[in-house]
Amino acid sequence: MNAQTKSPLSVRRRSLVLAAGAALAAPLSVHAQAGEDIVIGGSIPMTGVFAFAGIGINAGIADYVKIVNDAGGIKGRKLRYVPEDTGYKVDASVAAFKKITSQNKVNLYYGDSTGFSKTINPELDRSGQILMAGASFATELNDPAKYPNQFLVGPDYTEMFGILLKHIAKEKPGAKVAFVYSDSEFGRDPIEASEAAAKKLGLSVAVKLMTPPGSVDVSTEVIKLRRANPDYTIFHGYVLAPIPEFVQQGKQMGMTSKWMGTFWTMDSSTVMKMGEAGDGFMGVMPYRYYYDTSAKSPMLDKIRQMRPEYQSTAYTQGFLTAMLFTEAAKRTLDAGKPLDGKNLKAALNTIKDFDTGGLIGVPITIKGNSIPVGRVYTADMKAQKMVPSSDWIKLD
Amino acid sequence: MDWAYLFEIALNGVASGGLYALAALAFVLVYKATRVVNIAIGEMLMIGAYLFFAFAASFSLPIWLAVLGAVLGTGLLGAVVERTMIRPLLGEPPISVFMVTVGLASILVGLVEIVWTADQRRLPEFLPKTPVMIGDAFLAPKVAYGSLVALVLIVLVLLVFRFWRGGVALRATASDQAAAYSMGINVPRVFSLAWVASAMIAAVAGIIVGSIGGISSSMGVFGLSVLVVVIVGGLDSVLGALVGGVFIGLVEALAGSYLGGEYKLLATFVVLVGVLMIRPYGLFGTHEIERL
Amino acid sequence: MRIGTLKQSYIADAALFDSHTQKTWLGVGTALLLLFPFMASDYWLYLACLVAINVASATGLNILTGYTGLVSLGQAAFMGLGAYTVAIMQTRLGTPFLLNLVAGGIVAMLGGLVVGIPSLRVKGLYLAIATIAASFITHFLFANLKLTGGTSGLSLPPAQLFGLALDTSFRLYWVIVPVTLLMVLGAANLFRTRIGRAFIAIRDRDISAEVLGIPLLRYKLLSFGLSSFYAGVAGGLWAYFFRVVTPESFPLLMSIFFLAAIIVGGMGTILGGIFMTMVPELLKLVFDLLPGGTEMTVFLSPVRTVVFGLLIVGFLVFEPHGLAEVWRRIRRFFHLWPFRS
Repeated sequence: MNAQTKSPLSVRRRSLVLAAGAALAAPLSVHAQAGEDIVIGGSIPMTGVFAFAGIGINAGIADYVKIVNDAGGIKGRKLRYVPEDTGYKVDASVAAFKKITSQNKVNLYYGDSTGFSKTINPELDRSGQILMAGASFATELNDPAKYPNQFLVGPDYTEMFGILLKHIAKEKPGAKVAFVYSDSEFGRDPIEASEAAAKKLGLSVAVKLMTPPGSVDVSTEVIKLRRANPDYTIFHGYVLAPIPEFVQQGKQMGMTSKWMGTFWTMDSSTVMKMGEAGDGFMGVMPYRYYYDTSAKSPMLDKIRQMRPEYQSTAYTQGFLTAMLFTEAAKRTLDAGKPLDGKNLKAALNTIKDFDTGGLIGVPITIKGNSIPVGRVYTADMKAQKMVPSSDWIKLD
Repeated sequence: MDWAYLFEIALNGVASGGLYALAALAFVLVYKATRVVNIAIGEMLMIGAYLFFAFAASFSLPIWLAVLGAVLGTGLLGAVVERTMIRPLLGEPPISVFMVTVGLASILVGLVEIVWTADQRRLPEFLPKTPVMIGDAFLAPKVAYGSLVALVLIVLVLLVFRFWRGGVALRATASDQAAAYSMGINVPRVFSLAWVASAMIAAVAGIIVGSIGGISSSMGVFGLSVLVVVIVGGLDSVLGALVGGVFIGLVEALAGSYLGGEYKLLATFVVLVGVLMIRPYGLFGTHEIERL
Repeated sequence: MRIGTLKQSYIADAALFDSHTQKTWLGVGTALLLLFPFMASDYWLYLACLVAINVASATGLNILTGYTGLVSLGQAAFMGLGAYTVAIMQTRLGTPFLLNLVAGGIVAMLGGLVVGIPSLRVKGLYLAIATIAASFITHFLFANLKLTGGTSGLSLPPAQLFGLALDTSFRLYWVIVPVTLLMVLGAANLFRTRIGRAFIAIRDRDISAEVLGIPLLRYKLLSFGLSSFYAGVAGGLWAYFFRVVTPESFPLLMSIFFLAAIIVGGMGTILGGIFMTMVPELLKLVFDLLPGGTEMTVFLSPVRTVVFGLLIVGFLVFEPHGLAEVWRRIRRFFHLWPFRS
């Protein structure tokens, strides 16, 4: 028995352990801080249920950053965009935030969901260094007292409902409206306030239907909807499913309601997926669509030049966010103030009658945390386009 | 008491219960033959739906060919899974096999996302469009035809179990593996057969569910409702799958209409707990007799 | 190499750490844990805290499933109960942080006792599915009661310990890790006692256990209660760590995740908990190192899901007793070296 022979396995095992140890130890060291660049960090849902939006948002921000840097940056300082994928999960978003802020000096951040924006708010308030915007249009975030370091790149969900209800009240005073929404934070957000708003406009809310998330069969809900016989049905809290099924079954059962949706349903490609059922589908959209040539929009032309294929409204949202970030940073530096949350937000709130280069149809003013402007569009299935059905509606 | 409304709701509930029954059937087949709880049943449904989408939309094959292709493809998947993941774990504690199916679900979801991305899509329309009318009550056509298919398949499976040699072999293997071996039944072949049949039925269910609610990579959560159905009906009872499915569909419809959408799942689970307290093995499940 | 581990008293024989080498390694491990927060960046501290919370919860589930044999898919629900209790008490009553944690544990324990009541009637898989009901019922309560803030959930201020606000990962580390260590040690100790042996007896053959005089219902309920207490405390820590609790924070998927953690880890260890939390992060790190821009990220995320699933399946097919067995083999090798094992 040769007790001295080292089994080759132990040597291999030992070197494996050493290599693993070295590999793990390396990232533990704190990274050096970045220099003069102005960093835009992003928790972006590039995979998962919101992926189609996340990819668009990512491209939008990246493109605008490129435009700014090509023109020399902000007062000679370049913009740097540092995204991380989150799969639309709050813990992943928070982890990404911690990672990016520990490796860079971040002044501007894009968040991927309502949940994340709420979770990270205390952290933002504590550090006071960051101005944040994101993919969420939640009503609760539209509160400058509670969320002083955040803003929405468009109207909040209640304001979106408000725009739709205003349009309905004009088209058919005293009409019956139905709300169909998903059982999630996203879905429930605007319902209570919108019901009150509807009553104020003299409209009656015939029925409010909540669908459990992931529900496949909605036939019992459609029956309830049919019995309520609304003139207009507003869907909220969904991307695509189960809207087409509702519309199709509703039409099959002889309903005469007009069908409407909110921002995340209203991307052109999403509505077109509805097929036959989607003809005449309406909704509120605060931005111009990619193919819109109805008015002069130099930014839209530039986007069309940079990206010859159709870009979703998520892209526009990301692009616009980067634009507003840049504007806030520019105004802060022009006033000679340091870049921190309070100054950036104050600079943002000085934005009055600002021309977004045609991305939003009218000049915008950001008084609080949101941009309460939008337009009602209708789907034209034959032309495969969304056509405007109203003027640009501004809520006070 | 609006009887017409109640009738309409109940009718739709029963019909959508038929869909649950179909998916539950796929689950029960596997459990009956191999004692494996396949939590990836929802994901196998999803694969069937996506294969149909690939054949019908991307390759533009005629509908009947696409259905055939999807069913056969999923059946093949079932056979592969059985051979590579389930067979090696014969004899291990059932919880380990359960975990393997959890891993399988993850793999299937990932594969679908790689090939087709996580976007929601709609399947090409092929079911008739006119609503089915029973008296004054409307019945959504897709749901109606879907549950009709479910009923036909379940009756078919029941007959097969009764009269066909293969069905009898399956039942024999289910009740006593050792005895089945000694009677000359090729038990491994029976296992494969059960998984393939289950996968094919899951594919049909997937196509129907997909044509109603659209397809997406998170379609697999449908499997959770199916789990409730099989527990209520009995994990190894085909008849239980039918009765349980219809029952749960009815409960959901009534809860959703009279209490509100948020009560649907709650009602289902309260029923689940209730049934388990009265009949711990489900309505029709076999009572396991433990011996010392 | 171990030669002659001879004990001279029962106490020494039943000790948790019996050899000199084990005690040395324990010392090294403790030293590493103490040094870690000073060396690591914020991100790694964040991960460490998350791992600790998951290990605490997985250890609780291990008592129930690994040692008593009652498969439960409700662990996340009990964590939710603990988290919400802590959140409500902190925001409405302002009670001290340790009291809240214990209260969270107790509320979760009560929930666990309720869920455990069917366990005498219902066995095996049927019980597992019944525990899913717990998940849904708690979710319903969280989402619809005014007390719990509905779908927007609750947000809480940082915990206060001796006047210091626990708002960074660094500070939280010093609370979370010791609590977790205490809980793990407690669980390990549990199985040297009569109660632990009763649990194992129930797992192996509960009818025989009853014949031997172990009152089944009492011990099964005790097991449920203990494991949900652990989950409740872990949930409370979770609440202080994230500072926001919503009904979506504790989905069924999390329960499945914990179950996978203890099965892949091998029933009866904490390795699984560490493994399951770290693997998705490590995979992300590895994939981050690969070149490519956004298109690669989009492509790679589902690949990560597939790899994760393959790892679970692979482990179970090739090593059904999980990571613990792999660890035991390594230990056995070192115990017997230089002799072949």
